[in-house]
Amino acid sequence: MIRIERRLEQPGWLNVAVPVGSLVLAFGLSALVLVATGHDPLQTFRRLIHAAFGGQAQLTETVVSATPLAFTGLCAAVAFRMQLFNIGGEGQLYMGAIAAAAAALLLHSLPMAIVIAAMVLAGAAGGGLYALVPGFLRAFLKTNEIITSLMLNYAAALILNYLIFDSQSYWRDTTTAEAKVFPQGKMLPDSAAWPSWTLHGLGLPLGFLLAIGLAATLWFLFSRTRFGFEVKVIGDSPRAATYAGMRTRRKILAVMALSGAVAGVGGASQDGDFRHLLDPRGLQQAGYGYAGIVIAALARYNPFAVVLIAFLLGGVQNAGFTLQGADFPSGLVGVMQGLILFSALGCELLVRYRIRLASRARRPVPEAAT
Amino acid sequence: MNNSILVVVLASAVLYGTPLLFAALGELLAERSGVLNLGVEGMMLVGAVMGFWAVQRTSSLALALVVAAIAGGAMALIHAFLVVTLRANQIVSGLALTIFAGAAGLSSYLGNDLNLADQPAKRIFHSVLPKSLRDLPVIGPILFNQSLLVYGSWVVVIVVVLYLRRTRPGLNVRAVGESPAAADAMGINVTVYRYVHTVVGGALAGIGGACFSLSITPQWVDGLTSGAGWIAIALVIFAFWRPGLVLIGAYFFGAFSALPYTLQAHGVTIAPELLQSLPYVMTVLALVLVSSAGAKRRLGAPAALGLPYVREER
Amino acid sequence: MGQQTQAVDLSERRGAGGAPPAVSLRGITKRFPAVLANDAVDFEAAPGEVHALLGENGAGKSTLSNILTGLYRPDEGEIWLYGERVDFHSPRDAIDAGVAMVHQHFRLVVPFTVAENVVLGDHRREGSSFLVHQRAIERRVGELSKRYGMHVDPRARIWQLSLGEQQRVEILKALYHEAKILILDEPTAVLTPQESEVLFATLRSMAAEGRTVIFISHKLHEVKAVADRVTVLRGGKAIATTTMADATPRSLAALMVGREVDITRRREHGGEIGAAALELDELRAVGDRGGEALKGVALSVRTGEIVAVAGVAGNGQRELAETVTGMRPMTGGEVRVHGRPLRGGDAREAIGAGIAHVPEDRLGTGVAPSLSIGSNVVLKSYRRYPIARGPLLRLRAIRDHAADLIKRYDVRTSGPNAPARQLSGGNLQKVVLAREFSGNPRVLVVAAPTRGLDVAAIETVHAYLRDAAAAGVAVLLISEDLDEILALADRVAVMFDGEIVGEVDAETATVEEIGLLMAGVRERTP
Repeated sequence: MIRIERRLEQPGWLNVAVPVGSLVLAFGLSALVLVATGHDPLQTFRRLIHAAFGGQAQLTETVVSATPLAFTGLCAAVAFRMQLFNIGGEGQLYMGAIAAAAAALLLHSLPMAIVIAAMVLAGAAGGGLYALVPGFLRAFLKTNEIITSLMLNYAAALILNYLIFDSQSYWRDTTTAEAKVFPQGKMLPDSAAWPSWTLHGLGLPLGFLLAIGLAATLWFLFSRTRFGFEVKVIGDSPRAATYAGMRTRRKILAVMALSGAVAGVGGASQDGDFRHLLDPRGLQQAGYGYAGIVIAALARYNPFAVVLIAFLLGGVQNAGFTLQGADFPSGLVGVMQGLILFSALGCELLVRYRIRLASRARRPVPEAAT
Repeated sequence: MNNSILVVVLASAVLYGTPLLFAALGELLAERSGVLNLGVEGMMLVGAVMGFWAVQRTSSLALALVVAAIAGGAMALIHAFLVVTLRANQIVSGLALTIFAGAAGLSSYLGNDLNLADQPAKRIFHSVLPKSLRDLPVIGPILFNQSLLVYGSWVVVIVVVLYLRRTRPGLNVRAVGESPAAADAMGINVTVYRYVHTVVGGALAGIGGACFSLSITPQWVDGLTSGAGWIAIALVIFAFWRPGLVLIGAYFFGAFSALPYTLQAHGVTIAPELLQSLPYVMTVLALVLVSSAGAKRRLGAPAALGLPYVREER
Repeated sequence: MGQQTQAVDLSERRGAGGAPPAVSLRGITKRFPAVLANDAVDFEAAPGEVHALLGENGAGKSTLSNILTGLYRPDEGEIWLYGERVDFHSPRDAIDAGVAMVHQHFRLVVPFTVAENVVLGDHRREGSSFLVHQRAIERRVGELSKRYGMHVDPRARIWQLSLGEQQRVEILKALYHEAKILILDEPTAVLTPQESEVLFATLRSMAAEGRTVIFISHKLHEVKAVADRVTVLRGGKAIATTTMADATPRSLAALMVGREVDITRRREHGGEIGAAALELDELRAVGDRGGEALKGVALSVRTGEIVAVAGVAGNGQRELAETVTGMRPMTGGEVRVHGRPLRGGDAREAIGAGIAHVPEDRLGTGVAPSLSIGSNVVLKSYRRYPIARGPLLRLRAIRDHAADLIKRYDVRTSGPNAPARQLSGGNLQKVVLAREFSGNPRVLVVAAPTRGLDVAAIETVHAYLRDAAAAGVAVLLISEDLDEILALADRVAVMFDGEIVGEVDAETATVEEIGLLMAGVRERTP
């Protein structure tokens, strides 16, 4: 007979064991899916790992894929910490990209440092304001933020398409004949191209470094400040927070705005680091927002772990793009992400509970009465 | 007259509302047992792709629906295992199911692996009633020019209403959703009830997904349902967890989902993106409306919704 | 299992020599993580008797009854009913064997009607058909309630009923399922003393029909009043079984606690009573369901005074505590602290005005359960130096403060980093009290401060409350426990249906007098 008992103490090693165990389990389950559909899992995984982490070029590409995931992962982690299920990271990233592109186009003649700073701020503002819509509805009308933030993802995607494909918007390139037939965004000015550095052959874009810096800032915010303390209490027990006189509504607004702003900076990084124009197709292709949820959950909402796991899942996503074809079916990345999240949830059980195989036979009393 | 834009919109509201209706009824059953399943979108997509596969393989629509239901139910089973047996967070598990099964996950994987893209369905659901009925003014196109899926969904509504209000298992499941401790103390097996209703809910979502691939847009493309699963979840809230109101709500949202296509067909020149965003924006507005009306009392929501039930704990 | 006994006329078993006991538990052991809840417990109850199960909170009474009703499975031991060994795999087995229980927290489906609740889980009678025949079950439930003189409308929804009526529904449920063995867990907690008397009469008449009533309580006078025999549990073990004739409250108390205890009712706290510190004026507030929960409450507490608010649960006491402490907005009237009115609806304002609050739901409201004890002791002081400097927290100061309080209040824990939910009820209450006292309050609002605590912890908490009053704090004590109120309070205000229906001096008040007020009978106007 299996007995599930609540753990009284949560040993520290579980913080490492759970993510690692989840990844191993998820790979095992993915292998099952591959076998069931007539693929060779070992072959697929070998190619996946090679394409993701096999050399400097691959690693550099992996960092490129990991950068937006780090932002959306932080976005989800910030909100989920307070039990605010902002799953609008996807849409908030789009809005950040739109706002940052506008800033870059407007300020094209200014020095690079100013343009970049303006893009980051505009991205944060775009994402943050967009996240305030579900945040406001949740805080003042108790509207379920899961569904509203998700619906706004679809709306943001349509806005993105509208700006480039179906209007003569400020973002759309209308100068060349080709661009009139195949709509695309205006190229951003050179001053809006974010720098990148190379470390032992590994390319590190500004956005990735920004994500690391953001993770450190968020860690400090959550563990060392009154704000972080309040978020922790509200997340654990809203009633206790009310009892202690905390302003829950304001915190919901602040956390949603912060969460959206993080995703928005991710959008700005997409513009500045990689795409250099407002690119609806490219932004929508990868499902950054949803992967961010997986990352946040696996990282157990720890900002540093988010960056690390974003790197790992960035590798999987990068491999997914590179390998896409007959023996690497397109949905495999999503399947693996889903399985990782399932596994993380299953393993989370080990954190909260202890599973004991208890025989019906009599045993000596293990614990003394207290 | 039957070509007037209002009639066309209403007729397509029924068509587009049907998948929402199936999926929302399924979600309603799961939620009435206390299980919140946010994986509806994923379950619908897997139902859609497997139903489409079955019809291509067997040319049997009946079989296709069975396969879609099984596929949706199987997805729901994962969720049930995680949240009922392993007591995982229902919100995160539902999101995981959406990611696992959704537009960039298993449904896409299967569609690719089974080579289902870019081909029309071998058979689709057609109108079944005689032409004389279909040609009746106004109500003809709206009510009688519909397929068996539509009439089937009406049957499901009636069955669910009667089940919840008049039968013993219906009474039990409502008790499980409201107060699992009370139900448990009276010998009702909370685990079994939650599993069964979650899986049946998944099966209905699978059929809802098949409505897309076998009737509305009879083909397979990734992300075919484009958010219908989420609208279905909102619909349950909007309908205060009552199946009768789900019917009305489904057609209301169905109308907004259909609007872009019907208006385009009638030569209305508004940017399609703006029209396409209508169902999403309307969902948000509807939720706002409902929450400002019932926020204080969580009107209609089962009291134990989203909470795991653990008997032996102290 | 137990089915065949159903046909036997139970009353004949009564007193018949050699007839097997109705219930016999042999060597029952049940372990929970870190707790041995039942330790080789033997227990017997005869047909036709009211048998009390007496013990402190945490003695293992509830666990034992949950085993007897099939909710828990024992790790070791046997259950025998009417001379036959039974093995319960689920509550249904126990119901089928004729065992029913009225839990302390009712197991009722709140939006359902009385009739629906009564037939829930039925698989043998009216409720067992696939289709639910509303009329038939309502008629049957109506008949039952008439037969046993427990009046309640079968069509009423549970949320429309008072707690006393809800208890009747629970008992009807047991009768409907033809329970031969009825267990009641602390049934008087929701009743006035007079209502308790009526319940006792009902229980005795049920025993006269040949049923067995197991009455769980930690209150000596109740046990004395209703039971034929009593079994005392302590620390998970069955200590003794005796007939009531051989027992005195003093001897029972000694058995229950394991040492001689002082059961005299009142001790002075020696607080010097001064000017009014907390004044409530025509205070009004809305309840969770939208109805008016406070209908103009007027009350004042002076410095150094303990004023108790008595009443049956659900008459507005919780709303009163929440409104005074700013957790619930007021819709009318005024709260004044030392003459200064509060805006209301803002806990931070109340804290700033010097109102400390020990809430009735310790784990759900009084602490953030997953956070550390350290975080929880600064739950209200984290905004100011020395805990914070500007927007930053001073982690060392938090740790030191927590370690200091743990030591001073003798909190048994592995350290300041342990999560609050790990603490036992008594230690958790010490943490809450320690935090509230460390804010140097002028007014202290305490609700059900000793619910669920054992005698030693109750004595500690009471001592802290007396000390607070002695130090000049105005204490508003909200409690449903009359013993506690009479042990602590200087004045007793009785609440009924959202109003204070009377005030009495604790020195001279009688239980009967307070009981009548609790039932809403206004006998005198001040």
